[in-house]
Amino acid sequence: MMKMLKLVTCIKQVPMVSELPWDPRTGTLKRNLADGMINPACRYALEAALILKNTYGAEITAITMGSDIAEEVLREAFAMGADRGILVSDPKMAGADTLATSLVLSRAVQTACADFDLILCGCHTSDSETAQVGPQMIEELDIPGVTYVDRLELDGRLLRLQRLSDNFIETLEMELPGLVTITTQRQAPRYVPLAGLQDAFTDKDISRLSLEDLDLDPELTGAKGSPTKIINVFSPTAEKDNIIMKGSARKIVQQLFDQFDDKIGGAIGKDIKDYQESQ
Amino acid sequence: MKDSIKEIWVFGDYRNYFQNRVTLQLLSRATELAKMLQAKVCAVVFGDQVDEWVNEYIAHGADRVLVIDHPDLKNYKIETYVNLMIRLIGKQRPEIILVGATNFGREFAPRIAKRLKTGLSADCVDLDINDEGLLVQTAPSFGGNILAQIITPECKPQMATVRPGTFQEIPHNYERTGEIVRIPMPADLPKERVHLIFSERSPQRSQRIEEAKVVICGGRGMGSKKKFKKLTELGELMNAEIGATRPVVYANWIEADALIGQAGKHIKPKVLFAFGISGAIQHTAAINNAEFIIAVNKNPNAPMMAMADIAIVADANQVCTAMIKELKVRIRG
Amino acid sequence: MDFNPCMKHKLVRKTVRDFSEAELGPIAHEIDRDARFPWQVIEKMRVLNYFGLQIPRKYGGAEVDSISYAITIEELSKVCASIGLCVTVHNSVGAQPIKSFGTEKQKECFLPPMASGERIGAFCLTEANAGSDASGVETNAVEVEDGYIINGTKIFVTNGGICGYALIFATMTTGAGKPFTNVFIVEKEMAGFSVGEIEDLCGMRANPVSSLFLEDCKVPFDNCLGQPGSGIKIALTALDSGRIGIAAQALGIAQGAFEAAIKYSKERQQFKKPISSFQTIQNYLADMATEIDAGRLLLYRACALKDENKPFGTEAAMAKLYCSSVANRTTNLAMQIHGGYGYSKEYDVERYFRDAKVTEIYEGTSEVQRLVISRAVLSQHT
Repeated sequence: MMKMLKLVTCIKQVPMVSELPWDPRTGTLKRNLADGMINPACRYALEAALILKNTYGAEITAITMGSDIAEEVLREAFAMGADRGILVSDPKMAGADTLATSLVLSRAVQTACADFDLILCGCHTSDSETAQVGPQMIEELDIPGVTYVDRLELDGRLLRLQRLSDNFIETLEMELPGLVTITTQRQAPRYVPLAGLQDAFTDKDISRLSLEDLDLDPELTGAKGSPTKIINVFSPTAEKDNIIMKGSARKIVQQLFDQFDDKIGGAIGKDIKDYQESQ
Repeated sequence: MKDSIKEIWVFGDYRNYFQNRVTLQLLSRATELAKMLQAKVCAVVFGDQVDEWVNEYIAHGADRVLVIDHPDLKNYKIETYVNLMIRLIGKQRPEIILVGATNFGREFAPRIAKRLKTGLSADCVDLDINDEGLLVQTAPSFGGNILAQIITPECKPQMATVRPGTFQEIPHNYERTGEIVRIPMPADLPKERVHLIFSERSPQRSQRIEEAKVVICGGRGMGSKKKFKKLTELGELMNAEIGATRPVVYANWIEADALIGQAGKHIKPKVLFAFGISGAIQHTAAINNAEFIIAVNKNPNAPMMAMADIAIVADANQVCTAMIKELKVRIRG
Repeated sequence: MDFNPCMKHKLVRKTVRDFSEAELGPIAHEIDRDARFPWQVIEKMRVLNYFGLQIPRKYGGAEVDSISYAITIEELSKVCASIGLCVTVHNSVGAQPIKSFGTEKQKECFLPPMASGERIGAFCLTEANAGSDASGVETNAVEVEDGYIINGTKIFVTNGGICGYALIFATMTTGAGKPFTNVFIVEKEMAGFSVGEIEDLCGMRANPVSSLFLEDCKVPFDNCLGQPGSGIKIALTALDSGRIGIAAQALGIAQGAFEAAIKYSKERQQFKKPISSFQTIQNYLADMATEIDAGRLLLYRACALKDENKPFGTEAAMAKLYCSSVANRTTNLAMQIHGGYGYSKEYDVERYFRDAKVTEIYEGTSEVQRLVISRAVLSQHT
């Protein structure tokens, strides 16, 4: 009998962008005030796993690293169809950059689901936006892996992938076990069903893993295990001193094209200045 | 011995015009950083028959080029490329490595950093050298709403991927000379486990809109599906790509792949027209890199208007119609 | 006492909000304007259990707790009150009576199609001369050899134009005995059942509210709900639950209007300052926030009692009375803050303003709620 396909999705809880906790006047980040959500790309990765589960049958383990409230993203993953939830949580892991995070997550996968077939990660997060944890887990686990995947299909142990990479549509193949990072381009994630959400809190348990459970040296995790240091944070989105135009649509458009011919005409590659007038 | 002279390495990505420009931009900035560090600039080129690029990189500021030229390197192979790079770094110990934040660069650089257990910042929009001689990497987060300055104080090399278009390339100078170091292809590399089966240039809008010089984006303020379609006509006149906000996509006024936003495409046009868009942060997070924004909205206080260089207080649909009319007259010749 | 929402309730809110904003948000204005029922969105809601919210699992429902239920209706209504209305009427006064009073056979027959949303439920008490007075029903049913023959006209039926099952309240008489009220589950295909024109209403315009006609409509014995004469009891029990739904709906409308007012007050500039910097506007916002919060606490208390299987009718009546009145005050102030723009159909507050009014009218007017509350108060202090 063939073994059940074992999928792992790594999901991150990120602040909702609509509630960006940034105060441009005081120049501070108020991350704890923001409600969390599943990082959009991670949601696409989970959807890709759910499609594989629906097609081939699979067990999905969702793993997240964060504080206690990150349990929420695992519950949501349950509601969507994940089978197991692992919360990797330890105060010593605070301040981790991608190097430390990829180490912890890789070790969590090896601890919680050593016989995994495929790990699916979101291609990047909406908060720190590095897109580095996926490729660094590929290295840490020493498995084949492909980033920015749009489509995937399984043929036995062979995974066939399609992605758009730097203007090229590429078809790639690799043997399982492996890791892919999923983009937000293809299959929109399903909505959460309300019955599943109730079950997510009654029928499912979350396993918690600490650094000790992972047998990891605290020196290699958190801020200590992170070679990069943030020395300054600032907001570039100061309000512009803009030009305001009012009046009839026709007059505005004429004024716009005459005054900004260089900007607009230049960009569209056409001369839009009204020569009849200027001649 | 080279040990005393620091080196800044730039990974030579040359696969097509766009990627090659990024490499030239990085060489330009690397030259400036090298002056501050009294370092040299070194380009690294892997591929099959790459002399053209080697010479171009010297002409654009590289003092030295490390080349591995072999038929097996014709297509990018991620594991092979990582292995080769690691071997080169191990022997040469560069101070800094810069990689263009292309899709390939953002797959390649993290794996190098992981092997070397060093730091890497992503998609940087500025690079500088501080008083301690460390590379200060300015990287965006939260959709460009926040910029963080990052250093890697203790590990070497210091690594960054850099957003295309961040720096200006310097004009080429084919009189310049540089050292070309040809390194033989090692015979003992591990076997590649990821296989490229097929590759073709993308005809998709998805890439076009992300690279487009002019983007016309429409929101609910356009009024209706029928009126929204007028943007397409305007787009044809302007050689522009059409994007949309989430409500518009959900209302089926345009296909889903036109979505510009946090969960859709991120754009960086020279000119962006925003028609009837209020400016929810899910949308604006994806347009922060537009150079010049013209927003049309009846509400002068919409957040989109505050972001714009030109804020037109008027009905979006009427302005669109007027622009079509006016352009047809003006670009007749 | 824990006033913080638990993780489950937070997630329910987020889940419904994500869905509503994505699917209903873009069309809410248009379906109100055109009085159109959005079948395409309803199709999506069916598989996500919106039509089986409190129906037991064995009949295909989600069996959510009452606070989850209230949150669901609130979040739907915050974006589109017409659909919030459709869902709450279907679930509370449509499915709940069958769940509470139906035989096992009736539950097996009627609940699964309701839970899947294949059949949408309607509750038909109101007539030309009956409404607040439930005993004034003139529609009558006569027992015949193989069932009942029903005749009469129901008016202002929420979900009337789209219902698959209509719970019809009808008066019966047997021999010389006193007349009594029964409830019949009328299926839309039954001969003699027809739907009148869709009403042209002030608010909730995307919900096809209509009259229903019963002309010698023949209904089998199996479709009679509860014991003979239990009609009034079924109506009152259903309306207790219904009040939770309407209170939640009113709260959603108030919250929607409040958030629109906050956003607008920060954007709108007068005297070179955002109007939110003026004390008058601040006072309005403070009152709105306080009242909405108070209403929410009243509502959740009623829900919690219901989930503990304790009497909750009075508390539900208080929640409905208060939340509907908050909805009206809040939408009124929200429009005031918007000034002339608020009076324009271009802004959502105009729709909130129209939608709010009926929450003081249907499923027991505010006057009837006061009657329910005062009876309880007086009986406790004899």
